[in-house]
Amino acid sequence: MDDGLNGRRLREAGALGLVVLAGLVAAALFVMLAGKDPLATFRVMLGYALGSGNGFAEVVVRAVPLCLAGLGVAVAFRCNVFNIGADGQIVVGAILAAAAVMAVPGLPGPLALAVFLACGIAGGAIYGGIAGWLRARFGVSEIIVTIMQNYIAIQFLTWMVRGPMQEAMGMFPRSDRLPDGAMLGLMVDGTRVHWGLALALAATLIVHVAMRHSSFGFQVGVVGRNPLVARFAGIADRRVVVLAMLASGGLAGLAGAVEIAGLHHRLQDDFAPGFGLLAIAVALLARLEPLAVPFSALLFGVLHVGSGAVQREIGLPFPVVWIFEAIVIFGCLGLGAVRARTVRAAA
Amino acid sequence: MAPLLELRAITKRYPGVLANDDVGLTVDAGEVVAVLGENGAGKSTVMNIIAGLVRPDAGDILIGGRTVRPRSPRDAAAMGIGMVHQHFKLVPTMTVAENIVLGDYRAGRWLLRPGRNAARIEALLAELGLNADPATPVGDLDLGARQKVEIAKALFRDAGILILDEPTAILSRRECDQLYDIIRRLAARGVAVLLISHKLDDIFAVCDRVYVMRQGRVVGERTVAGTPRDDLVRLVVGGALELPERDGAQSAPGQALIRLRDVTLRRPGAPPALRDVTFDLHAGEVLAVAGVEGNGQAELVEALAGMLPPASGRIDHDFAGQARRPTAAALRRAGLGHVPGDRHGMAMLGDMDLRDNVMLTHFHMPGFARFGLLRRGTAAALADKVIDRFEVRTPHAATAIGRLSGGNQQKLVVGREMNHATRVLLAAHPTRGLDLRTIAFMQRQLLDHRNRGGAVLLVSSDLAEIWRVADRVMVASSGRLHGPVRIADTTIEEVGAWMTA
Repeated sequence: MDDGLNGRRLREAGALGLVVLAGLVAAALFVMLAGKDPLATFRVMLGYALGSGNGFAEVVVRAVPLCLAGLGVAVAFRCNVFNIGADGQIVVGAILAAAAVMAVPGLPGPLALAVFLACGIAGGAIYGGIAGWLRARFGVSEIIVTIMQNYIAIQFLTWMVRGPMQEAMGMFPRSDRLPDGAMLGLMVDGTRVHWGLALALAATLIVHVAMRHSSFGFQVGVVGRNPLVARFAGIADRRVVVLAMLASGGLAGLAGAVEIAGLHHRLQDDFAPGFGLLAIAVALLARLEPLAVPFSALLFGVLHVGSGAVQREIGLPFPVVWIFEAIVIFGCLGLGAVRARTVRAAA
Repeated sequence: MAPLLELRAITKRYPGVLANDDVGLTVDAGEVVAVLGENGAGKSTVMNIIAGLVRPDAGDILIGGRTVRPRSPRDAAAMGIGMVHQHFKLVPTMTVAENIVLGDYRAGRWLLRPGRNAARIEALLAELGLNADPATPVGDLDLGARQKVEIAKALFRDAGILILDEPTAILSRRECDQLYDIIRRLAARGVAVLLISHKLDDIFAVCDRVYVMRQGRVVGERTVAGTPRDDLVRLVVGGALELPERDGAQSAPGQALIRLRDVTLRRPGAPPALRDVTFDLHAGEVLAVAGVEGNGQAELVEALAGMLPPASGRIDHDFAGQARRPTAAALRRAGLGHVPGDRHGMAMLGDMDLRDNVMLTHFHMPGFARFGLLRRGTAAALADKVIDRFEVRTPHAATAIGRLSGGNQQKLVVGREMNHATRVLLAAHPTRGLDLRTIAFMQRQLLDHRNRGGAVLLVSSDLAEIWRVADRVMVASSGRLHGPVRIADTTIEEVGAWMTA
């Protein structure tokens, strides 16, 4: 490889480091504003999230849905389709999966699980596919459609767990426990780490191969860069947009189903708060590279779990953590813009 | 008296390339001087050094005998140097007047106030013969008019030295003549004009003196008057240049490969670009489409390539068998190659490497994918073959194609398309922006393809090129396609008259 390319990679890695550093500094400022010691805060944060077995297990638990949904966002963004609707797709996937196993009780274990996960994928895929089709057929902005779809899905969930799918006792906004056969078991005893971790890692590999080595992934990359070049190359660009949104929604839907099957074992209100937006940050921080997504998801898991510890032990309000997350997201977007400029300058 | 602009022993080294080696030149006030050379000869580096975009490793720039070191385009502008780049640096959504004052603090440091300078702007536009309202968005102007805005921008900053980088590359014949006029008038009022070009026509039309560059060095300086064309060509290419010649004896037009009957073409939402087109493209011929650009040639090529379905009439791709609605992919598999006029916008992806750009039109071909997975090795081998056969100068097959010079990008695109163009090659302006040697090479490729029994549809606005390689010619003008007629049965004058009819 020539020097120029390596040089650019190096500069990009440096810029990434700067983003993280800037996030830390800014977060430290806010911690100080709140009257606490930033160093102690970071020590508690990392000490619990990375230094204790239980803490790290919780990081992994949090990272699993972020990884799956982040992969979905990466697929859509690679196609230059801005799927902001992972939240909605997660919810619809979970609802459809839960409804399916409740509607057909008595399925044998493995089959029930397969149906559960397949319905999760299908729910998210259909919901995302709608936005993809509207964009491909009528040129409707997928950003607006998916944002609106999020509201619909979340309100729909709120109604479902208070109405048709509410538990028999009628106490809480949640469903009854779902049949055990359809649920994912624990992968590491003594923690909450479930087999969803294996699914997320398998999905990472599959998406990596699909995006980097398959004909479909190549077409996604071409359409994402320039639809006119895609038409020139004989690619049905609209079809690729719809397929990319199906895949993207499907992965988000799988994230929703896995979160229910592995963690909550029942449908409940607000079971994946803000995961869809976090998934965008996860995908951007991973530079839309599938293999980097699990690591990016882990980082956000560390942030979440560590800040929980900080809240308990230092008494720091939670919003400070959100500020840190927001700074990282801004940084990633800025980095993307810088990168686009250097690429254009090189061309 | 010292010359207005002088370069002394300018040297600039990039990793692996000596872009400028001991370059010296002078330009006097009121003089038009050309820097002539092939793509990659180092012309643009010289200009970028003068314009403050690139710093030389060694050597001096003198203005009026005083050494200067422009460190930025703004610096250079303050020294009276104005540069018009080949790719315009205008903001399409801003008006003509706003673009002219943009970046010039005298027009207001914080707010653009084109109104303050309205009289001056109008005078400049009038001098340049641009009949556009200064309040028109630049995006609504054609390329020739945008270039005048660029020149106006430089003159607004009182540029005494005007550098034009390949100014005629994108202009029509008529626009070229207008530009030559403007250059002569500017020189007459004392502006020093430095013109970078690889087109001999530019040199003979408007220049007083010419420096010829090859491989980073100035290899010759000539006074244009009295210098024979051949002399310059030899200097540019470093030897004699053999132009390919069509050999009538080898032309044996065979069966029709594509047939058009009463075809009308229009893009969605636009008026028809071409009406009632009827012709056959035969095996073993080069069929040229002459005409001023923008008369439906782009639509015609896209329709033949399966990208634009006809609004009415029928196109039979006989070479592709009985496919009812042939797609771009199906036609490529059946033996079609397509070199579009808009190389950057359509034929390549600048940030992808050469191998993936080869894969671009091959991924649906047998051998390039199996079970839905790409076989990158096949594309890499083909990329190496194209790089070798078409002499693409690149550091590596894994280099992003956007980093290559325009000529080398074009060679890769043509080489790639010719790989699957076993039957039909659609080539729109395949030699535009290329240097003489590469033009000769490309034209030879077209003729070889024809002599192997392939069909070539050549879109060109260069009649000399058409006369050199085509068997028949059609003319696109005002929404119609005239002809085709055999080249042997017509004259350049006749075709030229149709073009402007």
